[in-house]
Amino acid sequence: MNTKLIKTALRNISRNKRRSILSGSAIAVAAMSIVALFSLIEGMTDDMAFNLKTYYTGEVRVKHADYDTYERYNPMHLTVDWNSVDKALAKEDMVKSYVPRISFPSNLYIGGSNFGAMGVGADFEKEAGYQDLAGSLKAGRIPENGKNEMMMGAILARDLKLEIGDRVTVMSTTAARGTNAITLEIVGLFAFPVGALNSKYFWVPLDRAQYFLRMDGGVQEVLIKVNDEVTSIAAAPLLKAAVENSAGVEMDIRPWQELSTTYGMLKMAQMIYNFIAMFFFLLGSTVIINTTMMVIFERMREIGTLGALGMHGKELIRLFFLEGTFISMIGSAVGVAIGIGLTLWLSKTGIDYTDAMSGMDFEMSAIVFPKLSVGKTVFVYFYSVIIASAATFIPSRHAAKIEPVEALRYV
Amino acid sequence: MKNKIVMIMILLSLLIPVSVIALTGEEIIRKADDMQVFETSEATGEMRIKDRFGVKVSTFISWSRGSDESLIEFTSKAERGQKVLRTEDELYLFYPDAEELIRMQGSMLRQSMLGSDVSYEDMTGGKDRISQYDVVLEGEESVKGNDCYVLMMTAKVRTVPYPKEKVWIDKETFLVWKAEYYTKSGRLLKEMEALEVQEFEDRLIAVETRISDKMKTDTETIMVISDLRINVPIDDDKFSLEELSW
Amino acid sequence: MKFLISLAFKNLTRYKRRTLITAGAIAVGLMMYIFIDSMLMGAEIESVRNLKWFETASARILNDEYWENRFQKPMDLNISSPDKIIKTLDDNGITATKRMVFSGDLILNAEDFGEDGNLAATVTAIDPTRDFDVFNFGTTLVDGRFLEPGEDAVLLGSWFAEDIGAEVGYWITVVTRGNGGFYEAMDLEIVGILNCPNPNVNRQLLMMPISTADEYLAMEGAVTEINVSLPENADVNMEVERIQGMLNGDNLTVMSWEAMAVDYLALAEAKRGGTSMILFLIFIIAAVGISNTMLMAIFERIKELGMMRSLGMSNTKIRLAFMFEAAGIGVIGSVMGVVLGIFADMFIVNIGIDYGFLLRDMDIGYRLQAIFRGVWNPGTMVKAFFMGIIISIVVAYLPTKRALKMDIPSCLRHQ
Repeated sequence: MNTKLIKTALRNISRNKRRSILSGSAIAVAAMSIVALFSLIEGMTDDMAFNLKTYYTGEVRVKHADYDTYERYNPMHLTVDWNSVDKALAKEDMVKSYVPRISFPSNLYIGGSNFGAMGVGADFEKEAGYQDLAGSLKAGRIPENGKNEMMMGAILARDLKLEIGDRVTVMSTTAARGTNAITLEIVGLFAFPVGALNSKYFWVPLDRAQYFLRMDGGVQEVLIKVNDEVTSIAAAPLLKAAVENSAGVEMDIRPWQELSTTYGMLKMAQMIYNFIAMFFFLLGSTVIINTTMMVIFERMREIGTLGALGMHGKELIRLFFLEGTFISMIGSAVGVAIGIGLTLWLSKTGIDYTDAMSGMDFEMSAIVFPKLSVGKTVFVYFYSVIIASAATFIPSRHAAKIEPVEALRYV
Repeated sequence: MKNKIVMIMILLSLLIPVSVIALTGEEIIRKADDMQVFETSEATGEMRIKDRFGVKVSTFISWSRGSDESLIEFTSKAERGQKVLRTEDELYLFYPDAEELIRMQGSMLRQSMLGSDVSYEDMTGGKDRISQYDVVLEGEESVKGNDCYVLMMTAKVRTVPYPKEKVWIDKETFLVWKAEYYTKSGRLLKEMEALEVQEFEDRLIAVETRISDKMKTDTETIMVISDLRINVPIDDDKFSLEELSW
Repeated sequence: MKFLISLAFKNLTRYKRRTLITAGAIAVGLMMYIFIDSMLMGAEIESVRNLKWFETASARILNDEYWENRFQKPMDLNISSPDKIIKTLDDNGITATKRMVFSGDLILNAEDFGEDGNLAATVTAIDPTRDFDVFNFGTTLVDGRFLEPGEDAVLLGSWFAEDIGAEVGYWITVVTRGNGGFYEAMDLEIVGILNCPNPNVNRQLLMMPISTADEYLAMEGAVTEINVSLPENADVNMEVERIQGMLNGDNLTVMSWEAMAVDYLALAEAKRGGTSMILFLIFIIAAVGISNTMLMAIFERIKELGMMRSLGMSNTKIRLAFMFEAAGIGVIGSVMGVVLGIFADMFIVNIGIDYGFLLRDMDIGYRLQAIFRGVWNPGTMVKAFFMGIIISIVVAYLPTKRALKMDIPSCLRHQ
């Protein structure tokens, strides 16, 4: 590849600004859209992962070793000793935050009938450092540790015709495998981004749950969030060793990826989104190919002239290839840059589709924050450059075969 | 009234050769039911509940009046203060931390008490079984060395939980040694067995009873009564809702 | 005018390559738009479908008091003469089926399952001859066979079966209460396993023939619900009212799937925000593709335009000529695009993408029977068709105008 060819290519590009801009912009738009799409996908899957980790499993979850085996029998007595777990986790640098939880299926005794609901015992002071509870509060306030209070999912409250200020009697199986009942006052209504939580759950202070369920110092599970530098899969075994050491018993400590089928759902959603992204690619690619082809055919006369001047075959192809490559390098760069800019801007404000969720009588927080994936962005860049350059081959090969005389006559 | 009938029966049986007189099924059941009813009673007891996770013991004090009214107050640590009140038509639960009494009715009665093999429904079980069941005296069998009548009771109505009951009633003392509860097609649902008995004034009382829910794996509940006192004075309003909330 | 049109037509045929490439750009762009729109709509509708096909049907007839007590699944709040009602609906062209839903305990025996166990379950008793006309379980059988009326058999959801380790041929016992309160235990054989795309259903489904349940539980023909199927584009609320009218009193209520949907959370999880964004991006790409190609096509012919001007053709006529040509290309491209879009839709709607198969090796714990289907969206096709033509014309207009402003020699010199 001699420098004269390169210079010629560059000169051609700058001389025919209109043409270069047209084909370059097509490439730019394709690249930009694909970057934006990938970020949107990242944002959506991130959102799902966030919900999983905040409300269900944490990034690493600590539970009694036998709990999962007997889960269907509601083994309230298979608890985890909070003190020893707390002690062990407080010392770990890799841990960002952690909270104890107790989930207990219960019956709400209202107007002489029983209604099934799920109770969650949580330490509200600790929860403040783990998730944004206040942001999910629709009405009222968060219960105070130590008081006989609860906050209820907004849909559940509506279904049961309850309001803030109402007192509800909760019956449940205890850790002593008996039953107990307690009356709590509804002080708040919440709306988490996951519908199921709002129609079936109510949250109570952890210490009241421990008292009511006869759990002494035990909790049902501890949800852990780890710092960004370490992955949950890597952290889990280390934390397992530390906690089991402190507690003296074996426990079930696993990263969230190994836990629920919901993670599988997430992976599936990701796959579907990536599938759609593939179509984007296809479309973008056809646009690029199409544009490049047009460019070549438009320059038939030019090809003829060059041919008459002695440039044939391989050199011609190389020339067009170089032109195509340079244009696509610039076009992709511009497109990717705009894509990045768009994503960064949207990642701050988020895409708010609360209005789009018509049919719900109230809003769940429904904002997706697109997230930039460096790896994918780099991939998109190189991909569009390669596609655009490759797209020059067929038409230029075709062009190179034409006799100069024919080409010159081409209008 | 009941005493009168018993008197008459005893006189008649004295006059007529025993082989000619046979008690009907209904009569046997009636006598067995009467055996379990006191004017008043007070007792201390415990429930030993065994399930797949182990054995759990709950202790209680109970009072009863006639066949319809009873009050149980739990004294074991896990259930301290919880009470169960049964009156003629109703069953109420009292929990110290709940601000209202819980009235168990309809399908709620089907729940098991304290996770045992005994349901609330079992506890309210009408003693008025004669009107709801057809009784057939099937024969005689010996249980733990005691000669028993074997009776088969088939439900006449659909509203009783156990469509079929087979009971072994002691010929002499009319104590129910064993009972088996079946579905219409003969599937065994629950089993009751008297493990230990004690004499009380003129009757035999089972002080240790085992009840087992055959539909659950490897579970049983053993009710033990210690310190039974009969016909003790009990306040009139002992079996009232106000007393329950106290 | 006729001259201009035939000029446009001749140009189109003379420069086949140019025409085809440009039309091709339009076609591909439109096809993609139609296809992705179908998929995205399909995704949105998926959760609604999962609901209607497997859980709520289009509407349901219930005893007046049932709904507010539905958590207890009270068998006594029932519909006493369902067959009469179903016949009335039949006569009015509405397909319906009766079902009885009740709760019970599922008893597993050690012989089949390895160890004894029991768990709470909800049993759905169906009419095997009609249920598939209203619900969509007909295609979900993955093992064994469907139910025959009157037999002592059950079907399980596949996730349920996996959870408890059940296989076709195992026996289970369902213990529940009959009409009045008496205990009943039913020994039932697992004859089939259903794997449907609705995970909620898969997790809990336990189906038995309604005549069997009726006999065991002494229901005397009474059922807890009648489920109604309505065509996809029906006005559900109107139909609900119509059906309510047919019931004249009788203490029965008709509820639409939307009214019942609050309980079923599949709908709540539908995230719609992304779809409009995605369609917008597709539209941009397609529009740019069309514009680019069209622009280049026009610019390429400025010389020709100059020649026409120098020959005396009026600006208007030239403009029209180019517009006609652009429209012509637009029409060809749009037609091609819509036809390709129809083929693409035919694939995605009828065959769909079996993502269960694609994911089968992934360990998410369960096998997925899930075929992702698109939706026919004629509105989108019409929109796309006209967009293709309009964009082509609009995009051709601007450079033409510019060329007409230039002086003729510059036009002729243009490259």
